[in-house]
Amino acid sequence: MSDFHNRSQTNARRSDYVWQYEYYDDEEPVSFEGLKAHRYSIVIGFWVGLAVFVIFMFFVLTLLTKTGAPHQENPDSAEKRHRPGSCLVDIGSPQDENDKAFSRPLLAESRTYFHFYINEEDQGKQKPEEERVGKHSGARAQRGGRGVGSSGVDEMEEEVEEAAGHKPINGLMEESNIDRECAFFSHFNIPNFVNLEHNSTLGDDDLLYEPSAILERQSHSHDAHCDIH
Amino acid sequence: MSTTTVNQTDCPDVNVPDPLFFTIGVVSLAENLLVVVSVILNRNLHSPMFCFICSLAAFNTMASLTKTWETLMIVFANVGQLEKKGSSEMQLDDVMDSLLCMSFVGSISSFLAIAVDRYITIFHALRYHNIMTMRRTKAILGVIWITCGVSAVLMVGFFESKFIMICFVAFFVVSLAIICFLYFYMFMLARIHAGKIAALPSSSGGKFGRQRWRGSSMRGALTLTILFGVFVVCWTPFFLHLILLMVCPMNPYCECYRSLFQLHVVLLMSHAAIDPAIYAFRSAELRHTFRKMLLCSDCKQRS
Repeated sequence: MSDFHNRSQTNARRSDYVWQYEYYDDEEPVSFEGLKAHRYSIVIGFWVGLAVFVIFMFFVLTLLTKTGAPHQENPDSAEKRHRPGSCLVDIGSPQDENDKAFSRPLLAESRTYFHFYINEEDQGKQKPEEERVGKHSGARAQRGGRGVGSSGVDEMEEEVEEAAGHKPINGLMEESNIDRECAFFSHFNIPNFVNLEHNSTLGDDDLLYEPSAILERQSHSHDAHCDIH
Repeated sequence: MSTTTVNQTDCPDVNVPDPLFFTIGVVSLAENLLVVVSVILNRNLHSPMFCFICSLAAFNTMASLTKTWETLMIVFANVGQLEKKGSSEMQLDDVMDSLLCMSFVGSISSFLAIAVDRYITIFHALRYHNIMTMRRTKAILGVIWITCGVSAVLMVGFFESKFIMICFVAFFVVSLAIICFLYFYMFMLARIHAGKIAALPSSSGGKFGRQRWRGSSMRGALTLTILFGVFVVCWTPFFLHLILLMVCPMNPYCECYRSLFQLHVVLLMSHAAIDPAIYAFRSAELRHTFRKMLLCSDCKQRS
């Protein structure tokens, strides 16, 4: 730009006119006559649009949470809705098992596993040591999960603190009634969380996606795997 | 051709007072420098997640430093100490512009990296330590820094070319879309799972569990809104400015929008100041490191 300036100055000496080129002209040849709308209309429109977008996003997020609200009055429907894994597929009532396409001999066992997962009080007593181990690894897994994941979505920690977070992990420890592959895989989930323990000092109040969600997702993905066999 | 008769523009440039630039710049510099130093000093924080947060803080530090230095130079130029059109000043101006561009591109890249890291944490949690090793993290950070440096130099060198500006804006829009998608996907899955946990009849009290779930859902929605909303509110005005510069340089409406350029730059700088609160200070370990650093400096002074 300084080159142009020098050139224009030499031109000025030669001729009578000055030709200036600058990226930002100090005097913009913009005419302000005949404006139909307010001159700051783009500014106002932009900020109103942005505010509407942010508020809309917030309402969409809260709406997502409300529509995902659980219905506890009907445990069977809750079971059906919340446990679509094919290892535990079509677990509505015992008599439906034989009618299903996925007639595997493991359905009886997976039904027991499923009922254990959802209605813990219906199950028999767990082995005390398994429960202790389950709770302990669950606690470690939660801390590890918290340490690893920090998405800033920190509301999960409350649920994780509660026993509800422990129970699915305890349920997964119950091997006797579980499909061999799924149980094998689920059992291997627990040791993996131990590796995350060194992150346990990180961000105690950070994210989290607690391990039961991860286990559930892993069993989802493995359910699809189980399905193939 | 003599200069055309110029109608006095009805949209005068809005000037932000220099003390405001200084304040925001210094605050942002202090915060981000604190984050960088804490992450480097504390060995517990040498994990991929905190490396990305540290990189973001480093880019913000560079941006606030450069902007504060530029404000200082403008103050000196206005006072008369510096020549506005001198060659060395123009070169220095170019250097500062390229550093600013580098920090902008770097900030956006760091946001993207943080979002992808969180996504992998949630959806591939069991393989996270194999996917995101420290070596890969360092490689990713190296790639980000080198790319930002190169693209910054190119951007400032060829700023007149529309292609570069289109690339810049397209990069921002694509990053915004990816970040939006990743966070919403994570949020939705987290909500579904939280709902399932709250649906467990054996969880502590059905109704109480539901109420807690609702409360925590609201907090999650608020957190995500703040995270994404602040990013959009702070970065979009500047990029709309660039778009309008390309699309309608002569339009009076666009001219009135572009007259607010300094306000948009203030928004960018304030985003650099807000970032530590959104990303870094949410970690208890990092806060603990701050307190130790600040208190220990007091301890040393006392003893």
